[in-house]
Amino acid sequence: MKKKNRCKWLLVILPVLTLFMASLLAYPHTGWAKDKQPTGKVIIFQAGSLTVPLAKMEKAFEAKHPGVDIVREAAGSRRCARKISDLKKPCDIMASADFTVINTMLIPKYANWNIRFATNRLVLCYTDKSRYANKINAGNWYKILTKKGVVWGHSDPNADPCGYRSLMVLQLAEKHYKKPGLYQNLINNRPKENIRPKSVELVALLQTGNMDYAWEYRSVAVQHGLKFVELPDQINLGNYKYDNFYKQAMVELTGKKPGTTIKKNGKSCTYGVTLIKDAPNREAAIAFLQYMLNPEGGLKILKEMGQPPFIPCRVSTAEMMAILPAGLQRLVEIKE
Amino acid sequence: MIKIENLNIHLSEFNLRDINLNIEENEFFILMGPTGAGKTVLLEALAGLIKTKSGNIIIGKKNITKLPPEKRGVGIVYQDYSLFPHLTVLENINYGLHFHKIDKTQAEKRLNRLVEDLNLSHLLKRFPLNLSGGELQRVALARALMVNPSVLLLDEPLSALDTNFREEIRAGLKRLHKNSNVTFLMVTHDFAEALSLADRAAVMNNGIIEQTGSIEDIFQRPDSTFVADFVGMKNLFAAQFRDTKALTGSIEIELGRKPANSHGYIAIRPENIVLSKESLASSMRNSFRGTVTGVLDQGLYYEVDVMVENVTFKSLITKSSLFELGIQEGIEMLLSFKSTAIHNF
Amino acid sequence: MRSKEPFFWITISCGIVIMAFILIPLVEMMTAPSFAMLKETIKDKDVVRSIWLSIYTAGLAAIISFVFGTPLAYLLARTDFTGKRFVESIIDLPIVIPHPVVGIAILSVAGRNHWIGQFFSDLGIRIMGSVTGIVVVLTFVGLPFYVNAVKNGFESISPRLENVSRSLGASMFSTFFRITFPLAWRSMLIGIIMCSARAISEFGAVVIVAYHPMIAPVMIYERFEAYGLKYSQPVAVWLVSVCLALFLILRILTLRNKKEA
Repeated sequence: MKKKNRCKWLLVILPVLTLFMASLLAYPHTGWAKDKQPTGKVIIFQAGSLTVPLAKMEKAFEAKHPGVDIVREAAGSRRCARKISDLKKPCDIMASADFTVINTMLIPKYANWNIRFATNRLVLCYTDKSRYANKINAGNWYKILTKKGVVWGHSDPNADPCGYRSLMVLQLAEKHYKKPGLYQNLINNRPKENIRPKSVELVALLQTGNMDYAWEYRSVAVQHGLKFVELPDQINLGNYKYDNFYKQAMVELTGKKPGTTIKKNGKSCTYGVTLIKDAPNREAAIAFLQYMLNPEGGLKILKEMGQPPFIPCRVSTAEMMAILPAGLQRLVEIKE
Repeated sequence: MIKIENLNIHLSEFNLRDINLNIEENEFFILMGPTGAGKTVLLEALAGLIKTKSGNIIIGKKNITKLPPEKRGVGIVYQDYSLFPHLTVLENINYGLHFHKIDKTQAEKRLNRLVEDLNLSHLLKRFPLNLSGGELQRVALARALMVNPSVLLLDEPLSALDTNFREEIRAGLKRLHKNSNVTFLMVTHDFAEALSLADRAAVMNNGIIEQTGSIEDIFQRPDSTFVADFVGMKNLFAAQFRDTKALTGSIEIELGRKPANSHGYIAIRPENIVLSKESLASSMRNSFRGTVTGVLDQGLYYEVDVMVENVTFKSLITKSSLFELGIQEGIEMLLSFKSTAIHNF
Repeated sequence: MRSKEPFFWITISCGIVIMAFILIPLVEMMTAPSFAMLKETIKDKDVVRSIWLSIYTAGLAAIISFVFGTPLAYLLARTDFTGKRFVESIIDLPIVIPHPVVGIAILSVAGRNHWIGQFFSDLGIRIMGSVTGIVVVLTFVGLPFYVNAVKNGFESISPRLENVSRSLGASMFSTFFRITFPLAWRSMLIGIIMCSARAISEFGAVVIVAYHPMIAPVMIYERFEAYGLKYSQPVAVWLVSVCLALFLILRILTLRNKKEA
């Protein structure tokens, strides 16, 4: 009798086990195929504002290299870095909207170098359904944002560079337009409910009429067909010539543990990209970077989509140039 | 008391057409018919639970056709009694009082009388869950009669009970009806019930009323083949009438009266046929010699089929008589019946 | 089914597999945080606020489902009409639709680009990023659970009881409150429990409509993304514990009544 029972046990457990094993073996990994074509998955953690251009790059690259599957996860750049450093999620490439995030959060433990590849600037986006849409311009935007009933927002500064950059623009506006107290007045008219983790989410809120104004990168505004107010270079964080003015702005962000903080100062928007040290698919990742940082490849796409690239891309020191992978060195110049 | 005029009901599975019925005050009226005839539909229409297409229902002097159930004063007792399971027996009985303004002392008097008549005093605090079928029925009756309806509808109230006690309960129902001034309209397919309880009755079939009349008339003088067949008149033959004689098959039967029509039907109840070996010295006008073609055990009686020329008669005979007469298939027998036992239409 | 038969053993082993499947990950999560960590977490005002928000928005969603869902459930249980199957399928739709899609759909209607959103905006009622918006989403996903539970409850009550009640002089309203409701309240309670349980655990739809104010599942996700397991698990443990306690109390209350009856 007991033998029979054991047999019945096996009958039940066996198929379950088989299913389990099969699913484990299902996922292919990395490497070069016989004819030296890159293959396998390439995991990219990217800033939300790079979604549209990177999607196009992904399509183009996969068309040329059908063995490669590019998998992208979009999030605020600080959150992307945390996924790598704290959550230890596997990742090949990190593309950040603020290159300093890579310097402070990933180098030297998780990355060795940092290539700056594009710039951006902040604009105030809206639609024709927004309140005062027919009145707003570069001269009165800060007055309209303080009006009661106007729903405007930005992304979470702790997760997304666009978030803290928005706050910096507001602080710089106070100084530039010489209106003391303007920053606090603006913040008072922006309740917590108007903050979203990723700036790209604000676009949906604008388009459905749930929000009147949102702070976004110019490239994103162009890509989504939104109306926007162009701000003076002194405050839009888009021109490195004004870095000295920009650094007056300061925002406190959450540190590694809840309760701790770090301070961040204003700087022109510079995007950076790096290869993670324990990248699961190094070879294919480098192949993608070769495409992305090529003036005829990824950089061209960025330009077409309203995001001015650095041609060529830049590293800050000669030491960094030396440790770049062979295929990337010719695409980069050394510039402070 | 109840007047139903040209009532038409259209349901997805049932259609009642041109129902016309007249029920007297305080009558015990019985509605019979095969399953699917539409009896319950008619009952529920009277209660206001089913929508009617056209026609009128008048109770007393009021036309209640458009009234909702709660305003009709028509009570209903279902086959399963449908007692409220979350209320005690007493609460069930008193339920209707919430909606009728009755003087307190009068209500108490009525309650006491009903409880006594129906023998419910030991059950008042109980819940319906554990009561027997008979007890449930009595509570359901008390509940319905508590609000003194003008009409009480009963849908096969005895069919869920043990056959042993049916006679007892039947007598109780009759007593209840006599002691009240409520008109009872009951659906049943038990003939014994109908015969013992009814003042008048109607037979329904396929959504129409086939025959209305006193219970006697329906059983002894059905006026259609369906009703005749339904009430168990097993010897139903098409016949030609000449003078006082009926010709069926190749047999001539003496009726003792002249029918109004020239052809129609004759029907004889099996109980009224007498079987014998020799001629009987009796006043039976009709006597035929025939052969036994079948002997069927019906439990308490035997049905004996006798073929006379080409007509087969069915008769009922007790077991003892069967043995006494030595009846078996194939033997010759004498078959006799009175002319008064023949019903023609 | 004799107890030593092979068929019996197969049912037992399937049962064990399922219990293990459910319990192992949950026990792992519930026992991971230290007591110190749990204490620290519950002292955090944001965490307490977020759990409380989850509970009372789910409660509101259940109440709204109760008020509007009960008459509909009664209609579906008692009547037949052309298109009834269609209506029942529509009620089941929120179960089938992916949660982010629910959030997007509600957001699209809530904005001033839609006449409904415009109407509410003019009244000063805000849906995006508000408690109102959260309750709207939770009611949307919780309603089918309530309606189906109560519909089954009503169907199990014989319509003859209601017929008799009316024949005794009670109007439809009186019949409903004296007969139908006392016999159906248990299934209503079950419906409320199912609806609330579904609502409290909703994430994908809510996070699109309202990131702030933060319900507990959003906070758990946020903490996970920002700080990792260590800081999100305790919030999950507290949320699950509070919910379990609430539902247990509710069930005990109904069980006790059954014994009395």
